[in-house]
Amino acid sequence: MAGKQILGDDPFGTGDVEDAPPPPMPESGLNAKPENASTVESDAPPPQKARAKKSRAKAETSDAVDETAEVASASVTPSPVETYSAVTSAPPSEYGPSIDRPSATRHPGLVEDVKQLERTVRERLSPPRPSEHGGERNRLPLEFVWKRWRELAMRDRSDTVDEFGRDPQVSARVEPLLDFLYKTYFRVSTKGLGHIPDEGRALIVGNHSGTLPYDGAMIMHAVKTEHSAHRSVRPLVEDFVFHFPYLGTLMNRIGGVRACPENAERLLDQDQLVAVFPEGIKGIGKLYRERYQLQRFGRGGFVKLALKCDAPIIPTAVVGAEEIHPMLTKVTWLAKSVGIPYIPVTPTFPALGPFGLVPLPTKWFIAFGEPLYYNAEYGADGANDRILVNKLAEQVRGKIQLMIDELLKERRSVLFG
Amino acid sequence: MAAPSKKKTPKKKALVPRPAFDPEQRVVAITGAYSYMGAELIKRLERDRRYYKVLAVDVRKPTFPMHKTQFHKVDLTLPTADADLAAIWKREGVDTVVHAAFLSAPTHAASWAHELESIGTMHVLNAAAECQVRKLIAWSQTVVYGANPLNPNFLSEEHELRGDKSRSRFVREKVEVERQIRRFRAENTDTVVTTLRTATTLGPTIRNFATRFFQRPVAPVLMGYDPLMQFVHERDVTDAFVAAVENDYPGEFNIVGEGVLPYSTILALMGKLPLPMPHFLAYPLSKALWATQIFDSPPNFLDFLRFLCVADGGKARRVMGFAPRYDVKATINDFLGLNPQLQVGTVGGPGEVLPVTGGV
Repeated sequence: MAGKQILGDDPFGTGDVEDAPPPPMPESGLNAKPENASTVESDAPPPQKARAKKSRAKAETSDAVDETAEVASASVTPSPVETYSAVTSAPPSEYGPSIDRPSATRHPGLVEDVKQLERTVRERLSPPRPSEHGGERNRLPLEFVWKRWRELAMRDRSDTVDEFGRDPQVSARVEPLLDFLYKTYFRVSTKGLGHIPDEGRALIVGNHSGTLPYDGAMIMHAVKTEHSAHRSVRPLVEDFVFHFPYLGTLMNRIGGVRACPENAERLLDQDQLVAVFPEGIKGIGKLYRERYQLQRFGRGGFVKLALKCDAPIIPTAVVGAEEIHPMLTKVTWLAKSVGIPYIPVTPTFPALGPFGLVPLPTKWFIAFGEPLYYNAEYGADGANDRILVNKLAEQVRGKIQLMIDELLKERRSVLFG
Repeated sequence: MAAPSKKKTPKKKALVPRPAFDPEQRVVAITGAYSYMGAELIKRLERDRRYYKVLAVDVRKPTFPMHKTQFHKVDLTLPTADADLAAIWKREGVDTVVHAAFLSAPTHAASWAHELESIGTMHVLNAAAECQVRKLIAWSQTVVYGANPLNPNFLSEEHELRGDKSRSRFVREKVEVERQIRRFRAENTDTVVTTLRTATTLGPTIRNFATRFFQRPVAPVLMGYDPLMQFVHERDVTDAFVAAVENDYPGEFNIVGEGVLPYSTILALMGKLPLPMPHFLAYPLSKALWATQIFDSPPNFLDFLRFLCVADGGKARRVMGFAPRYDVKATINDFLGLNPQLQVGTVGGPGEVLPVTGGV
């Protein structure tokens, strides 16, 4: 039990913490709120019972705590299984000896007698305890249902997520779907994966398209499966996707992070691989006739980030994603009330309803360019020079546009590549 | 003004030897002595020889035995509270003031809450300025950052307090208190001012809004939203307060536990039944339940089930050396853990429930 390990420093000076379960903490005061004023006055019930009911048994004095701990040690066998192993260090006993420790030496015999008497009374009063082996133990009401329910609830999630919310079990479940999209559906072919470093921080800057952010997922999957180091990419996801019900949660569980400078900086400081799409919402929401024309690259936040965190920029071009949802026009007036920036109108959506959300099986190309080391050139102070930042952002945009144009020239068919 | 330890019996004198006044030993004043934090702090200071005397202030006397703690009944909502406090503190030569007289849960008595939190803090700060105390420690909560879609995953201490914009009076009062403390810090440069912003605090003994929320069998879930949440264990919070009393750490600190978990996973670990509802229905429903006083959480608290409000404990770790002993899962375990059958299995994989020996 975690509590037992924590209490290892014997805060109550009973000397027998080895066997005792954590004694009930003396009742905390409550907040000064009127409705909380009534306090539970229980005359020290057997600690196990109090634990079962989760009632906060109130120990009147620290002497009383000593007593209960003593009794508990005599009557209960501790669980042999340590539940949680992360908490190991017992705190040093930095505080002086307790001034309110009972003077046990004065009448040792009497104290023992009283304790023995109390133990006997407890045993008489408490219901018969089932034997340890084979005996029917007391069950909580509906305990079985409760356990089953929790197993069911924890079935396809892990009880540990990383600090940005990536759940390994959910990611593993989504993996086959991504794999299907990557290999069979979009038949992604990549080049220049060698430009991504095997370790250390880097910023993948790509063009954004396709109404729904499939491109981020495909870049993620490409690096995960085809790169030599199998690194995991953390794509920065714009707010509108991130706060979209269900979609945002799913993105978060498989590794997406809300796009904001603080998050990106934290990720880069952890030497992670971060993917940004500086076009943002303007990129996703391009009309079909504007395809492969890069939009404004935000305000150059990604350049600032690269300069500040000393991260190389890897320009990346994705071709094929523009055509998966060829958007003819978009409706904005209705969308605001639903909480999304626009409702796309494609040849299939909303005409075919939810089936219209199935993307066209286009052939995709992803090219990773040579890393740009702006920090080495301009230093971290360059992040404060707005004109420089804008210029560099334009430069990166030009590079990516060139890469896109090259890929488009090589491509002969949208569906077959 | 009950002062029990003034009637010195010989026995107590023997227990606590009292020199005239040892400058090494300090006098600590605590407001909100009946609150969880106040009471825990008093218990810890009682055991520590380095503190000469503890002055406890509340409207209700703590029920545990106190040997070197003097209890003074002062109602912070009364207009003369600052003069009363100043008189007591001056007389006793207070070195450190810990201001913990805050609400841990929203209340329908909004004007009383305002008097206690905002005005009460004003009284405490006035008295502290009057007495020129060396150190002031105030309790705040990470809710002051507010649950906002624009929040980064980890809010640093310098982040704007968006709780201000929330329509929740409970959070607004806390932000107002932080403002006052900032002003105090700027005006009284000789005083070390520490603000400890605790995350949602869980534990076996503490009772607050969160523990009540997670003790119900059913918990509301806003469909499609599943924010990350963090907790801090009650003992870690006490440790942080004790550390702040012991050493000087000027500034604001987030006191948070390690790790985050999605809300749905927390509910699953605790075995709660999620009650999914669309957010556009949940807000009016919650408003109605709050207005009719059926439910104790104001409608704006649903924001915390929808958006992130997770604070970064890095500064406390670097500056205070605060290392939480319980991470998020251990905190949940310990909160549930009064009953060993409810312990969350962590060894063999998710959902595993440990075998139970012994009776319940």
